[in-house]
Amino acid sequence: MSEIAAAGLRPAWRGRLGAEADRAAPDARRLLQLALAGIWLLDGVLQYQAFMFSKGFTEMISGTASGNPRAVASPITWNASLVQHHLVLVNAISATIQVLLGIGIAWRPAVRVALAASIAWALGVWWFGEGLGMVLTSAASPVNGAPGAVILYALLAVLLWPADRPGRPAPFTAARAVGAPVARALWLVLWLSLAWFALLPGNRAPQALSAMIANMESGEPGWLAALDRGAASLLARQGLAASVVLAIALVIVAVGVYLPARYARGTMILAIVIAAAIWVVGEAFGTILTGGGTDPNSGPLLVLLALTYWPARAVVTRPAPAAAAITEGTAAS
Amino acid sequence: MIPSPVLDIFAALMLLVAAVSAARLAAARPWRSGARRAALADIDLAHLLMAPAMAGMLVASLQTLPNGAWEAVFAVMTAWFAYRVLRDAQVSGVRALAGGHCAPHLIHAGAMLYMFLALSAPAAHGSGGMSGMSGMGTLELPFLAFGFALALVGYSIWDLDQLSGPGTSGHYSLTVARPAPAGPVLAGVGASAGPGATAVLTEPASPPVVTETIETAPEVPPASAPADGTGVLAPWVATGCRIAMGITMAFMLVIMI
Repeated sequence: MSEIAAAGLRPAWRGRLGAEADRAAPDARRLLQLALAGIWLLDGVLQYQAFMFSKGFTEMISGTASGNPRAVASPITWNASLVQHHLVLVNAISATIQVLLGIGIAWRPAVRVALAASIAWALGVWWFGEGLGMVLTSAASPVNGAPGAVILYALLAVLLWPADRPGRPAPFTAARAVGAPVARALWLVLWLSLAWFALLPGNRAPQALSAMIANMESGEPGWLAALDRGAASLLARQGLAASVVLAIALVIVAVGVYLPARYARGTMILAIVIAAAIWVVGEAFGTILTGGGTDPNSGPLLVLLALTYWPARAVVTRPAPAAAAITEGTAAS
Repeated sequence: MIPSPVLDIFAALMLLVAAVSAARLAAARPWRSGARRAALADIDLAHLLMAPAMAGMLVASLQTLPNGAWEAVFAVMTAWFAYRVLRDAQVSGVRALAGGHCAPHLIHAGAMLYMFLALSAPAAHGSGGMSGMSGMGTLELPFLAFGFALALVGYSIWDLDQLSGPGTSGHYSLTVARPAPAGPVLAGVGASAGPGATAVLTEPASPPVVTETIETAPEVPPASAPADGTGVLAPWVATGCRIAMGITMAFMLVIMI
């Protein structure tokens, strides 16, 4: 970054060079795209881990077929077989593709191509590698990553697409490309589905949540394992109550995007807190610290998603005409 | 086990970075150009040291120095860039601690030091020491490795964006001349950069040019200074090296967890 040496020059420098300097300063959507690029890059790097070149990775893929309808499970089984027979090649290519997606989103001239490719790739992995996030089985839970981290990559790519719809200014970044009604509907569907998953019989059983968290302990560093043990102990035999509380919180988050801006911000903070708690306690940072995590899991993506819906204090303006009015915005438009 | 061709590719990339960094140093000849270029030579020198060290960690046959020597090298390098970051913070404010010119290099040097120290720890020896790259579970404090990897990925992504965007800031360039909007411009900044410098506003008679000083070097020549910013000395070359090293280092940290 350029740095003018004399601090005393800053006001004058900014006054004269402000327009020039600002050209390199990314706007909110670009920053969110860069965050998405970073997660893709991290994803690709994780895919190079030794575990991914082992039989365990194949077993992980084939395991996502169980419980799914036959039409969904058959392609997963076929994919697992393909990976098993060409493990090194397929995994190396997969890792490289994900690294390139991250680089492509960060490299401005390639952002559209990379985002489009990331949608196609994410949908493919969601089905063939994650069994549709297990949403068609009884095993889906917001605490263990439903509806599948990779589908959130695709959703973010759509919402952060570098285009602006004509008409009224967007009340939040996610509405710029698809419009506020569509963006809100997507948010509502996602978070209501998470609430639904939280209330599935398998998740509201007395020991379900506690056992799910306790299972994450294996292989984790001592402090994280202790955290998981503590959380599991706290939730022991409290499955129903915890699921209901979680579901209520998720419903509040779901409808928050329809509230006026000041309340919507509160629900976005709630969404971020829930996502962070899920990431740390329920997902154990995507089990990255065990050397076997294929991605950071859904926590960071839910945080990123909440940030794309953060109500703008000044409504996001269109690039042209330059003199578009800036008005105090509310989430409801 | 990670297949050796994967490690070989990353090692080859690092050797390429080392060669480019050596070429930059040779072209810039900082030892003959005074304090101005010497002030920036540390970055290319850091790349020149880090890249072979990383190649040696990835492929055992490329090891050059013993671990202890590398630890000493990267301890000194970390201390040096910590000093540079603190000095930048004194001049440019607290933001320089994370977003300043030298902050990424501090992270790079710190990550290298961490990797060598962690791999030298008793837990790593059982997994093959430096050749433990192809294994996993060899590192002490894996959360620190994850933190370093996140920071390296973040800086690499930011560099890619800045490198490809309009109004590129031009990392490492000593002076960057570029057209400025019509009207009064800041002149004389380059000649007087440093604490206590003064600005002069002039009305341009011809297409204006703004000269920005990129570093807090004690002396900065006018924009007509030769050689900088072209060929192997082009700013994007050094930034490209930094991106390649950042991604490779993140890869190494992650596979060592």
